[in-house]
Amino acid sequence: MNKNLLGSAAFVALGAALAFVPLSGYQEGIVVLLCINCIAAMGVSLLTGFTGIFTLGHAAYMALGAYTAAIMTVRYGIHWLPAIVAGGIVAVFVAWLIGIPTLRLTGDYYAIASIGLGEAIRLILENWQSFTRGARGFPGIESYSTRPVSVVFFTVLGIFMFNLLDSRLGRELKASRDDRAAASLMGFHTPTSRMKALLLSAFYCGISGALLAGYMNFIQPSMFDMMKSTELTAVVVFGGLGSMSGTLLGSAIITSVMEYFRDISQYRMLIYGFLLVVIMVLRPEGLLGSREIWSFFMPASDGSGGARGRE
Amino acid sequence: MGIDMQFTTLFQQIINGLSLGSVYALIAVGYSLVYSILSFSNFAHGGFLVVGGYICYGLLSGLDVYGYFTIPPFNIWLAGLNALIGAGFIAVLTERLAYKPIRERTSMTLYLLIASMGVSIVIENIFVIVVGGRFRALPQDIFQDVFAVLEKILGFFGLQSTREGSSHLFNLGGNVTVSMFDILSLIVAVLFLGGLQLFLRRTRWGLAIRAAACDLRTAGLMGVNVSLLIGIVFFVAGVLAAIGGIFLSFRYTLYPQLGGITTKAFVAAVIGGLGSLPGAVVGSLILGLAEMLSTGFISSQMRDLVVFSLLVIMLLVKPAGFFGKQISDKI
Repeated sequence: MNKNLLGSAAFVALGAALAFVPLSGYQEGIVVLLCINCIAAMGVSLLTGFTGIFTLGHAAYMALGAYTAAIMTVRYGIHWLPAIVAGGIVAVFVAWLIGIPTLRLTGDYYAIASIGLGEAIRLILENWQSFTRGARGFPGIESYSTRPVSVVFFTVLGIFMFNLLDSRLGRELKASRDDRAAASLMGFHTPTSRMKALLLSAFYCGISGALLAGYMNFIQPSMFDMMKSTELTAVVVFGGLGSMSGTLLGSAIITSVMEYFRDISQYRMLIYGFLLVVIMVLRPEGLLGSREIWSFFMPASDGSGGARGRE
Repeated sequence: MGIDMQFTTLFQQIINGLSLGSVYALIAVGYSLVYSILSFSNFAHGGFLVVGGYICYGLLSGLDVYGYFTIPPFNIWLAGLNALIGAGFIAVLTERLAYKPIRERTSMTLYLLIASMGVSIVIENIFVIVVGGRFRALPQDIFQDVFAVLEKILGFFGLQSTREGSSHLFNLGGNVTVSMFDILSLIVAVLFLGGLQLFLRRTRWGLAIRAAACDLRTAGLMGVNVSLLIGIVFFVAGVLAAIGGIFLSFRYTLYPQLGGITTKAFVAAVIGGLGSLPGAVVGSLILGLAEMLSTGFISSQMRDLVVFSLLVIMLLVKPAGFFGKQISDKI
């Protein structure tokens, strides 16, 4: 309990730092983008890193969140706060519909199913001209994703996520990741816990997408293609599967690097792809492996915090 | 009269669908072959396809390497052959540089999967940087030589060909016509898939590959040179992908993101059962038919949606696909 309070306090401090350190307009934009990317990465990390379900379609949930928030605020004049939350909820609902048939699948089968479904959602958004304006994109979204708003969302969702990982559900997920059969024998109903993980991750991605809509003021389906999904998962693997702080670190590094290379955008993706291969060859376990960042500073602990490597 | 038209469309789209499906089959079989040996989804497979397409395009239109030396335009046979070998070589190179170090270190296929995505991004963007992202059309008359041969063969069976501009059409009676290109892609696909089948069934290496698909480790213990075997598998996959690439870039256009079309080949492989070669072929034909029939009767924008709905339905009804091993969760 003490540890959790400490962690939450650290998170609030991080949030406060992000929210109140004076920055230029451009840097503020990067902070907002950082928060948005981190929220989505946390969602994917829960599913891929902690539950062992490899997804390649989570950009679709971001798209759902983004379009829900955009349509609600622009077309119906609803305040942005309920719109963002609604974005998350719509993503959860769709994830639930999708999860029922697909969560039975494992490994590459799920990955390919998630590509297919992600693309299907994108195609629906692209072809439903009357509602989403299709491939032309959806303009005129008010800029509600200011720095304080996105930092608050990031902080609240972050604290929730870190406490969740230490909760009963968190242990359940890790158990079902490491050995499904053993976890079932321990009395966990693994299909239910996998579903919970999917719904939570969809919620995070939905919120992140809704915030992205408010940051960009303009969304279009091609922003949420397979490339974006790949990026989400790659960030999680880069940070270390099974390490939430690694995910945040990885997301921060990738976001900054991509921002830094914005001028040479042609080479940006090349470098990014190359980086993925090199990391997998040299350090496949990612930046932090499956350890959390504080475990590096603490004396050898009891080893219960998921510090054991995943072989 | 209306029903007649419908019937003609149906027949026409079935032929188109089979032709498209056979191209998917070439791609899906290579992908499935790699999956059956290393059990990971090689997302770089689309990259091999693009490599094949660009080599073929480059050699057909003649290369000019920064003014240092020029390569005169090749004919389709030589350009195609070079494209196949080039793509096969790139596939082997990818395996040696990116996958082998990972394979030797861990048994987690997830890392291979991520690396393969990296490779696919790298290949795509190399082409964006080197040749530019614009769409390129393969010269329409490249298959003239091949068509001339085909024309003679089909003429032997009494099928008359007509020309409309640059496209050769065959009249099958009624109003149903088949383009020469569709027949060609069907024939080439059948030839290469048949060749692969012969290779797998009749040669020692084929036997080794089939053994490795069963159990790679045990095959290694039985004295199979696993490293060479994986190299061969990647070469074959690259060659098949390149043929698919050439046909796809002729059918549509050639651009660096053309590899994205392999998503459909993956879907086809899943519908047929991952890792199963007959499954990949059957899945691809189903997919090609579904795509063309929905183009003919619903709308061409809906065809991708139909493809993905097909995937979902298949996963609901029979998650292992038609020929796959039972993998779904039993808990």
